[in-house]
Amino acid sequence: MDIYLPIAEVSVNWPLLVLLGATVGFVSGLFGIGGGFLMAPILIFLGIPPSVAVASQASHVVASSTSGVISYTSQKAVDYRIGGVMAFGGVVGALLGVELFRYLRLLGQADMVVALSYLLFLGAIGTLMLYESLGQILRRVRGEVVPHKERRRPLWLYGLPLKMRFPRSGLYISAIPPFALGAFAGVLSAIMGVGGGFILVPAMLYVLRMKAGVVVGTSLFQIIIVTAMTTILQAGRNQTVDIVLSTILLVGGVVGAQYGARLSGRFRPDVLRALLALIVLLVGIYMGLEMFVRPSDLFSFAPGVAE
Amino acid sequence: MIAALPPPPPAIVAPAPERSVATTEQVRVAAAMTDARVMVDSSFRGASIVLYGAVFNPTDRPADVIVVVRGPDGPVRLVKKTRNMGFWVNSRPVLFEGAPGFYMTASTRPLSDIADFGQLRRLGVGVDHLRINAPQESRTVTRYGVRDVVVSRLGEDYLDYRRAVIRLREAAALYRTDPDGVEFVDAGLFRAELELPAVAPTGQYFAEVWLFQDGAPVSVSNLTLTVEKVGFERDVYELAHRRPWSYGVLTVLLAAFMGWGASRVFRRV
Repeated sequence: MDIYLPIAEVSVNWPLLVLLGATVGFVSGLFGIGGGFLMAPILIFLGIPPSVAVASQASHVVASSTSGVISYTSQKAVDYRIGGVMAFGGVVGALLGVELFRYLRLLGQADMVVALSYLLFLGAIGTLMLYESLGQILRRVRGEVVPHKERRRPLWLYGLPLKMRFPRSGLYISAIPPFALGAFAGVLSAIMGVGGGFILVPAMLYVLRMKAGVVVGTSLFQIIIVTAMTTILQAGRNQTVDIVLSTILLVGGVVGAQYGARLSGRFRPDVLRALLALIVLLVGIYMGLEMFVRPSDLFSFAPGVAE
Repeated sequence: MIAALPPPPPAIVAPAPERSVATTEQVRVAAAMTDARVMVDSSFRGASIVLYGAVFNPTDRPADVIVVVRGPDGPVRLVKKTRNMGFWVNSRPVLFEGAPGFYMTASTRPLSDIADFGQLRRLGVGVDHLRINAPQESRTVTRYGVRDVVVSRLGEDYLDYRRAVIRLREAAALYRTDPDGVEFVDAGLFRAELELPAVAPTGQYFAEVWLFQDGAPVSVSNLTLTVEKVGFERDVYELAHRRPWSYGVLTVLLAAFMGWGASRVFRRV
């Protein structure tokens, strides 16, 4: 049941990969996320070289986000205007990120930067989400009324030039913050192999203050463009995309995502968020741990590049 | 006569079989492999190749066989983790100019019993004597925009790095020493098994079959082996390296198509 992956140059058990794709797809459907942050650590754990894992699973994010965007488009819940600005930023970020990743990889520091990014971003997001969702669950159980805080957009958003109208999101702001946000997600997508939804969605909600209804669909749209770009760039610059690996993951992934999406309606949103927060936090800690534990072998190979 | 030989561990003696006049004079070894080509396809999980051969030994002194298989040479970059303010961080990469991607020895006895240190070192037989290219002086080279330190043969940490390369490759089953991997199946007829792991690099492999007598090489037979990707695996690999951009676009289109397909299929169900 083993299959030899032509780019990763290892042989793996393919039913296990289908199952992994299905599990991650299920989680991503359940929580409405790309699931990249979960896939990369597991692939690395299975012995796939990190650079191949990060580059190949970006296309898994493309597939799971595509089916998402299609359904959100039919509900008119995608703002293509602001999504386009963010995607433009994302492409620029992906270009920078792939070059940065290439340099770090050759420097032998890619593993550490990947670990550190996971620890920092997933740790921070996971903690915040857990705190917020647990608070909400507690209030619900005690029957308290949620205090409604009227948050305002930060004033600096209005001081910037290049103002644009985004009617669907109900915004009239400078194009610079969405562009910068997209660029940041693009860099992360290249380094961590994630779509960046876990950064984009909160930022779009709480910083840009977009209409809640269009946030998820728009972020998915941006994620498709960026991860597609990342996949092409990784293939073109680093030759680290394994089409066999990504296709096997996809087969399980797309099916799992559909079932996950169906099941998500049965849970309360705050419980779902608390669960997701826990997973995010655990993955972040797991990936970060390697920096603090004395490695079993101090030496390791650094990758070269085919000349 | 044979019983009078030093016992631990007894070398295998190849008693002289009946032969033509030409081969009765010199001590010789001849060898061949079951496969000259190993094809890596989607079901590749490593390969096992049998190397077999014959020893012509007209003398009454025992002879030992050592089989050495080397894979294609390539530069090796290595990083070492050091503790820095509580974090384990990688050092700047160090570079060996060339080390075999695969290295295996199989012999009738432990190598150190067959020949002395100098002899093995000179021939590069055994992982301890493996030639890993390193210049006399340490220097810095810029490769792919990164400054690497090239390991110097005379540097104090050369041995540490060298041992690390061997240890890591041994862990991946790429380097192996098998002190009783050469087995005599019949008088003068031996076989050795060559195990290629799935991670074995593709390219040209060279096998040397040495015949040692009294600690000195008396005969050698050279063989080659080609490991190459074939079929779908090769097509994918070639496409990814020759036309990387089209390959990337293809991957994305495939992913988008599958995402779209899944949403269509599941909407109907």
